[in-house]
This record gives sequence, C-alpha cells and structure tokens, in this order.
Amino acid sequence: MTTRTVPTDVTDHAEPVDRSGPGGAGPAPTGPPRPRRRSVWTRIKRDRSLLLMTVPVIVLLGVFAYVPMLGNVIAWQDYSPYVGILDSPFVGWWNFERVFTNPLFWDAVRNTLVITAFQLVFFFPIPIALALLLNSVITPAIRTTIQSVVYLPHFFSWVLVVTIFQQLLGGAGQLHRILEGAGFSGFDIMTNPDTFLLLITAQSVWKDAGWGIIIFLAALSTVDPALYEASVMDGANRWRRMWHITLPALRPVIILLLILRLGDALTVGFEQLILQRGAVGAGVAEVLDTFVYYQGVINGDWSFAAAAGLVKGIVSLILVLGANKIAHVFGEAGVYKRA
Amino acid sequence: MSTALGPDGAATATHPPVDAAAAGSARPDPRRRPRRSKHRPVWEERPTALGTGAKVIVLALIVLAVVYPLYTVIITSLSTTAAVTQAGGLVTVPTEVTTAAYRQILAGGIVTRATLVSIGITAVGTLLSTTVSILCAYGLSRPTSFGHRPILFVLLITMFFGAGMIPTYLLVSNLGLIDTYWSLILPGAVSAFNVLLLRNFFMGIDPGITDAARIDGAGEWRVLGQIVLPMSKAVTAVVALFYGVGYWNAFFNAMLYINDNAKWPLQLVLRSYVLQGVTLPGSGVGQVDVATGAVTGLPVKMAVMVLAIIPVLVVYPFVQRHFTKGVIFGAIKG
Amino acid sequence: MNMNLDSDATRVLPLNRRSFLTLLGVGAATPAVLAGCSSEAPGGAGDPSGGDVTSALPDYIPIDYVEPDFPSVNGSTAGYATIPTDLVQVFDAPPGSGSEFTAMTPLWGAIPPTEGNQYFDAVNAAIGSTIQFQISDGNAYGDKLAAVLASERDVPDWVSIPTWNIPPRFDQAVEALFEDLTPFLAGSAVEKYPNLANIPTDVWKFCVFDGQLKALPFPGEIITDAIFYRDDVLEAEGYTGQPANGQELLDLAKELTGGDRWAANDLWNSSVIIHGVVPKWRINDDGTLTHRVETDEYRAALEWNAALFAQGSVHPDAVADNSGDAKTRFESGQVLISNDGVGGWHEALGRQLASNPTYSQRPFTPFAADGGTPVLWKGNPANIFSFLKKNSDPAKIEELLAVADFLASPFGTTEFELINFGLEDLHFSVDANGLPVATELAATEVQPTYIFLTDPPVVNAKVQYPGFVEAFCTWMADAAQYVNDPAFFGMQITEPTQYASLAQPFEDLEKDISRGRKSMADLDAAIETWKTSGGEELRAFYTDILDAQ
Repeated sequence: MTTRTVPTDVTDHAEPVDRSGPGGAGPAPTGPPRPRRRSVWTRIKRDRSLLLMTVPVIVLLGVFAYVPMLGNVIAWQDYSPYVGILDSPFVGWWNFERVFTNPLFWDAVRNTLVITAFQLVFFFPIPIALALLLNSVITPAIRTTIQSVVYLPHFFSWVLVVTIFQQLLGGAGQLHRILEGAGFSGFDIMTNPDTFLLLITAQSVWKDAGWGIIIFLAALSTVDPALYEASVMDGANRWRRMWHITLPALRPVIILLLILRLGDALTVGFEQLILQRGAVGAGVAEVLDTFVYYQGVINGDWSFAAAAGLVKGIVSLILVLGANKIAHVFGEAGVYKRA
Repeated sequence: MSTALGPDGAATATHPPVDAAAAGSARPDPRRRPRRSKHRPVWEERPTALGTGAKVIVLALIVLAVVYPLYTVIITSLSTTAAVTQAGGLVTVPTEVTTAAYRQILAGGIVTRATLVSIGITAVGTLLSTTVSILCAYGLSRPTSFGHRPILFVLLITMFFGAGMIPTYLLVSNLGLIDTYWSLILPGAVSAFNVLLLRNFFMGIDPGITDAARIDGAGEWRVLGQIVLPMSKAVTAVVALFYGVGYWNAFFNAMLYINDNAKWPLQLVLRSYVLQGVTLPGSGVGQVDVATGAVTGLPVKMAVMVLAIIPVLVVYPFVQRHFTKGVIFGAIKG
Repeated sequence: MNMNLDSDATRVLPLNRRSFLTLLGVGAATPAVLAGCSSEAPGGAGDPSGGDVTSALPDYIPIDYVEPDFPSVNGSTAGYATIPTDLVQVFDAPPGSGSEFTAMTPLWGAIPPTEGNQYFDAVNAAIGSTIQFQISDGNAYGDKLAAVLASERDVPDWVSIPTWNIPPRFDQAVEALFEDLTPFLAGSAVEKYPNLANIPTDVWKFCVFDGQLKALPFPGEIITDAIFYRDDVLEAEGYTGQPANGQELLDLAKELTGGDRWAANDLWNSSVIIHGVVPKWRINDDGTLTHRVETDEYRAALEWNAALFAQGSVHPDAVADNSGDAKTRFESGQVLISNDGVGGWHEALGRQLASNPTYSQRPFTPFAADGGTPVLWKGNPANIFSFLKKNSDPAKIEELLAVADFLASPFGTTEFELINFGLEDLHFSVDANGLPVATELAATEVQPTYIFLTDPPVVNAKVQYPGFVEAFCTWMADAAQYVNDPAFFGMQITEPTQYASLAQPFEDLEKDISRGRKSMADLDAAIETWKTSGGEELRAFYTDILDAQ
C-alpha cells in the first residue's frame, strides 16, 4: 500500500504516497522530495473541503469529550463534588502517590498485562481465522446462516455468559455430571485460579469472536475476485491465494485493530472479571479497572480515580504511538502515517 | 500490499474514471458464469474431502456452541417460575411453555412508547454519527492533507482519556440538555474508533480512481459521494451497525439525564423489569407486597435478553448484504 | 443489611459498566459501604463531634390505631394475624395546599407510567399536593445521586437517599443543599404531625446530621438477617432439632450433603451472626477501640466458614461465588441452608406457595457458635432517608412535612391502604379473608414510590401466607432479647475518604480464606497492612468521637 507509484499525478493529492514530507505535495509528478514551498495558508485553502469535513467531529468531541476532560484536573485536588472543582484544594501529586504506592496497584497491572498478552495470542487472531473460514464456505445460504448466528452471544450480558459457563462447566454443571458418570471427579474449572486465564479467554472468545468477524468480513468484501482468478492462472493454490491476496487485503485493518488493542492493553473485561473475582480470588482476577473501582470509585474517591485514569491514559497513548512507530518500521500505515 | 499480482493495477487503470458502479457492471458478474458447482467459481479447485470434513466439523461445533446456550435462554424465557425453581437455574428441558414473561413485559403502554423513543434515538443518532464520522474519516484520508495528523491525534486522545461522570453531567446540565433526547445522542455521538476504521478503508481505495475523478474536475465532496461511498458500502454498514447497536443498547446516559420517566428509552424500561423482585436491604417484611403471582426472576430476565436481540436480528441481514464477495472491483490496491 | 440486593443485583448485571459499579457498591461491598462510607460525620473529617443530637430530636408520641396481635418485644417487629375490617381515616381533608413538587426515588421494579397513572393521581389528590416523581433505576441510583447532588439546579424538591448510596463527603451536600428540619420537628413541634411523632426516637437519631435534623426516615427492623433452613425438607428427612452451636451446624451440613445436593450456600454472613462479629468497632472495657477485623470473633467466623467449605458442604456454584442464584438453589432444594435478609422469607413464600403449597422455610433459633448466649447486633434504625431541598419559603417546607405526615400513616388507616395498595376495586379487591388482592393494573401502576419518601414504623401483616406472621413475630420476639447496640449506633459519622478503601482487602480475604486459597497468616498480614496504611488513624478518628460523647 505504501510503495506503489501511481502513474498519473494531476491533482495536488495524487502524488505517490511514498514521498516523504508534507512539502512533497507539489504539482510536479516526479522527482525527489522538495523542501516546503507552500505557505500554510495555501495548503489550508487547498484542503479546505477536507478540513471542513472534519469540523462536525471536532466540534462534537471538543464539546462533549474535551470540555469534561478538563475535569481531570481533580487528579491534583482533594476534590469534593459539593465544593466544586473551582474551590476544591490542590494537593499536588498526592493522588498519584496513592496510586503508585499501593501494592495492589502493581499486582493489578501485572495481572492486566498477563491477560492482555495471553488474549493477544489466543483471542485476537480468532475472529480473523473465523472470517477466513466463513469466507471459504462456498454455499451462500450456509455462509449467511452461520454468520447470522455466531455474533448473537455478543448481545448476552456478562452475567448470563458466566451463568451459562457455570451451568455447563461448573462443579454442579452438566459436563461435571457427565464426567462423574464416567468416573472422573474433583475438577472445577470455574473456581481454579491456575486455569483462570484459559477460562476468561474462552468466555471472551465465545461472547465476542463472532461479533469481531464483522469488520473482517467487510474488509474481505472489498477484494476483487479477479485477483483470485488471475493468481490461479499463475498457478497459485488455495494457501498461496490466502497468503498473497486475502491476508494482504485484511492487513491494514488487522494492523489498525492490533495497534488499538495494544493501546487498550490496560483494559480487560471489567464486568467479566468482577463477576468471577470471588470464585478465583483477587490474586488473579484483580485488574487495573477493578482496582480503581474498589479503591476509588465505590468510595466516591473521584480524585484517586481520576489520577489512575490519567496514568492509564498516558500509558495507553505511549503504547499506541509506540505500536504505530513499529508499524512504520515494517512499512505499514498504522493509525496514521509518518509524514 | 505491493505484491506483484499485476492485474489490478492495469484493470483499474482501464476503469472509466468517475463512475465506479459502471466499472462494476462493465465486467461480467463472476457469479453468473457457468461453473462446475453451483456456487464455486470456475477458477477455484475442487475442495479435498479432508478439508471439507474438517471445515464442517469446526463450523458445526461453533454453531452448536452458540445455539445450545441460546436455546436454553429462550426455553427459560418461556418457562414458569416453578419450572425454573425445579431446574435450579436455566431450563434445558422444557416442561410447560408459557409466554407469561413476555406478556408481562409488553403489557401496558409504557414499553410501546419506550420502543418508539428508542427507535427515534437510534435512527437520528445513527444517521448523525455515521454522517459526521464518514465526513471526518474522508477528510483525514488524504495522506498529505494539511493538519490531518494533529486532528488524528485529537481523535486518539479521546480513546484513552475519559471524562468523569460528574463533569459530563455538569456539562449536559449547563447546556440545558437534561430531559431532552439530545442528551442521549450528542455526548457519545462520535466514536474515534469508528472514524479510524472508516479512514482505514477509505485509504485502501485505489487513489488512481479518485485521482481520475479529480482530473475530471470533481471536488472532494463529489469524490466522496460518488466514488468513495459507493465503494465503501460494507464498512459504512458496519460502522452504522456499531453506532446503531450502541444507541439501542445504551441506558446509562438515559438513567442520568432523563428525569421524565415518559421519555425513557426501551433498554432502561426493560432493565426495570430485570430488577423486579430485588429485595431491599433491611426492608424486612416491608409493607408493600405487589407480587401478584406474576412471573419473576429468570424467565423475565431471559425474556428481556431475547427482546434485546430481536432488533439486531432484524437489522443484521441488511448489513450482511454488503458482505457479499466481489461486489466491488478494484477497491483494494494491489 | 441482608444479602438479597447483593445477590439479585449481581444477577441483573447490566450491559454497562457504570451501573455495574453501583450495584457492586450495594452488594459485594455491603459491609464496607455501610460501615465505611455511609457514615457521615457532621462537619467532615475535622469535626467528628456529632453535635448535640438530643435537642434536634422530635418527641415520641406513639399511636396505636389497631392493637397488634403480636406486640413488639424489645423492639421486635409487631404483627397482625388479620387485616382489620374497620380502617381508621386519619385525615379529614388533604393536608397539602396544592403546590407541585418534584421527587426523586429509586425503584427496583417495573417502571410505572407517570402520566395517566390512576394510583399517582389518587394519592396526589388525597395528599392535596402534586408529587411529580423522577423514578430512577435502583441499581444505578448511586451514580444518579452523585451526579445530581453535584449540580444544585438539578436537585429535586424531595430526594430519597438509601443509606448504602450515601456518597462520601455527604455532610457537605447535606449542609449546602438540604433544609434543616429541626425548627419544624424538634421537641414538641412534631405534635403538629402526629404520624411523624409516632416514629421512634432511635430512628430520628439516625436522621441527625451535624446536630441538625435533616432527614425523614424509612424505618428498618432491629434484626435484618437470619440463617434460614428448609424445615419442610429437613422434617421429612427426620431432622427436627435446632443446632445449639457452630459445630452442630457443621455436622448437620455434612449430613445433608450428598449426591446432587449440597447443604448450604456460602454461609459467611451466618458465620458472622453466630460468632457475634461486631459490625465495625468494639468498645473495650478500658475505653479503647478494637476494629472488627482484629477481633477473635472475626477470626473464628473465618475459620468456621473455611471449615464449612473444606468439608464440601457448600454448593459448587456458591463456591464460584454465584450469589445471584442463591435463592433459586435454596428454594429448589439444591441447598437446604442459606442466609438471607428477613424480608427474603415472605418473598420466597410469595414465589413458591402457588406452585408448591407445602413449601416452607424457617430461621434457626439464635445460637452462639460456642453454645453460649447469642449476641446479635442491632440493624440500622433506618435504611432509606429522604431530604427536602432548601427552600426560602417555609410554607413550602411545612407543606412537604404535612405530606410526609400523611405518608407516615401507620398500618390500619385508610391512608396506609391507599399508599400501599392503591384504590379498592381498581388496584385491589378484598377476598373472603379480608385480604387485599392486587389486580393486574396494580402490577403496572402501584410501585413503591411514596413509601421511599417517608414510611411508618415497620409491622408485619403478611396474613396471606398461612402461619407466617406468627412464625415471624415469635421468632423475632425471641431473638430480640439477644440484640445489642453496636458502637456508635445510630450516629451519622463521616470518615475521611482515604480510609474508605481499607476494608476492601478483608472482603477479598473473607472469600479467599473461606475457599481455602489463603490462610489465617494472610489475615495477620492484612491486619498489619491495615494498621500501617491508615487503620490506626481511623481508630484515632473514632476514639476522638468516643471521647467527645
């Protein structure tokens, strides 16, 4: 996507994308990157339509995201809602100290990262694989039927998902009864901290993998079938076609989702974990969000929660920008392209 | 994606520049070609027995894993309280089937009205959100346009830095939006994720096509409306679905911002049925006993779950239509 | 506080994180929420004095419109074996003067229509003022309150606040937002409102913030929780005796477990009851304070519950901490012993008697784990408060208090009947036994709303369940003799916010130790951490309050 050169270059925007530097947006179709020649004003004028298109979103985010985001200043305050942000006393970095000096915080961070890492390997690829599998089903009726069934668990609440797993796999569950009848007994995956990682990943896959394929199906629909036909003529078999046509078509969206998932590394299934915390213990089930919840939110300790939220946001942003950089190294566009 | 799968570059170059739809119809539809199997394209080899067998087993297991729990949920929603008590939880074997839970929820006009409210909010919200997201995504999709990176950064920030509940409430209150339907739409109208997703797809469109349009003098608005959008139906449908589901399922904003119970959206009303039968702490024997032998507990909760799925079931086929393979040519650069 | 809300709340887990937060605030953290942050000290952290409570209290002038069949003993709930045929009409004319007020209340039930609701219309007509309700989702009520109380213009005229939703620093909100009712109700002033004067002094004490009477109560019961067993099943299997100590209950649990049946749900709360673990602090003879987690009783309760789990008597779903289905397990007979709020008793009867007429459950007669004299701790005198927004016009406050007086009309009055059951023939009909039977319209229209603003003292008149009132009142009258006032009973104490999270590790430990994942050594370590990370400061904070008394 980054290296192909478009032969024509008639408008300002048609220059090959591999040219670096905003100054490359010159009218000349070829040649090395040139120093910035256009004034800011000319460029704004040139791109006024594009800029105008972003205005509604900028306004909406400005008002409904950024204005209330200013409220995060309470992270440096001993905030009381009844006194207000303007009159609550400033306490420096005290709230951040409380976050960082809490030993539970580091346990929670460790658990969170372990879960994220595990799910990156064992959850993230599954919707992709599922999409490819579905895509390879030839009969449209079967394909659409399966498609319209697998996403349904996404609409189940976590309570229901956990209840279903409990009734199937729990110590008094259906599987347990079958195994007991066969002479096995004494296992209970729902309360075993050692296999908890497997359990919650299985639950997540069951609930959300079917929903997750939708984006990939959309991406697959943009592949030109002529490409397959042409490659067959070149002698490519089924796997080569997947490798050379299908996966490249999915690659930009996979990279995007991967980067954003990395940015969300500190966010793992809050409801899911809080529901099963008692079953396996906080030792493995305490994650950053539940930590903030128990240590700050339920106690109305808004300042503590804000400080933890800011820490998390900064880490997320660093992770996303880092992942984006790595994507660039591999020649991918990532979230946004290096200029 | 720079692999040497040559034909597309040439193919797109020969496309009539502006009218992508025309470009599509200019080629024979591959699905109409004569083929060996009813649905398999000519060029595709006959699947091996082993491959087909493995595929069938995997897909059957996946479907079973979804359908069996779904079945117990539906059966439970059609059960009596006594049946649930007997089963000690979700019912797997139906004893007596009753629609009491559904009748109880749908009785009275409040659900009807709430449904209308929800439909209105979802329709208006989805339209607004999808429109502004498409505009923004396209506005940011030119790799060299002025200011697109700072704006992308502005979007990214909102994904990782939240605003607290109280500041947001104060904002909504100060804008005079309390008790208005706008309070259910505007605060969450833009999802940066959806904008990035759209942008990702827009950037995958061969610039040769859009550039050709510009040669013909088309402005950006026309390029978006006549070329990019028609080529991006699938992702547009997906994003609209994401927004629509979000609006439909949202209840927390309504709980906060809507005081007038007549303006409650459906999910908030349905939740109130789920909460039915919760014992108040320490209320002891209390004076109130509204129970009228009505179905309580699991059947009602499962009925609510089923009702929540129905609108998606209705809408999803319209989204799915756009997933058909090979509707659009040349959408992905080689 | 019982665990019902907890368990049901977990089951109805919403689709959204936020509300989930709240319901856990109600549930999992029940003891902490109550003990930890619901207590509000007047004047905040710096001024734990509590103020002069007595001068703000209304006089207590009891009225008995109908003599109870089972009178209150030591504060136990009084009961009625029959519904009186002749109801007393207390108000000749509507007490209100025609103003319109907004009121915010929580609801755990199907939302009623607010327009064209004949129940609301009838009650509003009877009280002579129009109460416009803003009903809010009970499980997310804490969030709603936090937001609304932070925005003065959005605070309605009358706000219901459950004790477990009281936010931290609530003293500041009370001070800034809500009317001081002392001048209207203190001492003999309350005589103007005879039904409010019928509310016992303990309850009013709990409504005093910073020396001022600020709230109107929804009174509670002195005993909130019990250990229930399925007496129908046990008797059929030949168990008739009652356990006399903790070991006997363990033995019973062991015997009852087998096959696809387990003896019990998680009995942590029962263990707390039979060990007499203090709710928060114990005042020692030398005047020092011992925190609940430092007591021998707490330790013993943990060991007992761990033994129950270890011997395999707890249902696997309960081991997996699925409290949402606890009632279903108990009522279906998968488990035979379960702790519950006392209100759970009649609710179970309501669910089960229709399809299973022989269904029965009973609370164990109170016993101590060591076989000695049981120690029970008195429950909150009120569980829900309501507050009146400050109003420059005292006439409006007086009108609202007159309405509150109407709402406080006790059992046996036509007013009580109207508020609780709606209109005769429309919302209920009277059956051959004189019992009100709700109509379908009632299920839609009559939902608890007014009662959360002000409620009379609790009585038990659930005569529709044969034998229930007698069984309940006799049990509680017997149990009431063991009830003690916990330290700082009935006082509104505000803890500084930073101590609020101190209790959380112990709630985790209670689950971990019970399930054998952690040991008593971990408890010792947690207590040490507690002391150094704020526990000692918290103790000093409470010692100051104690010294000021």
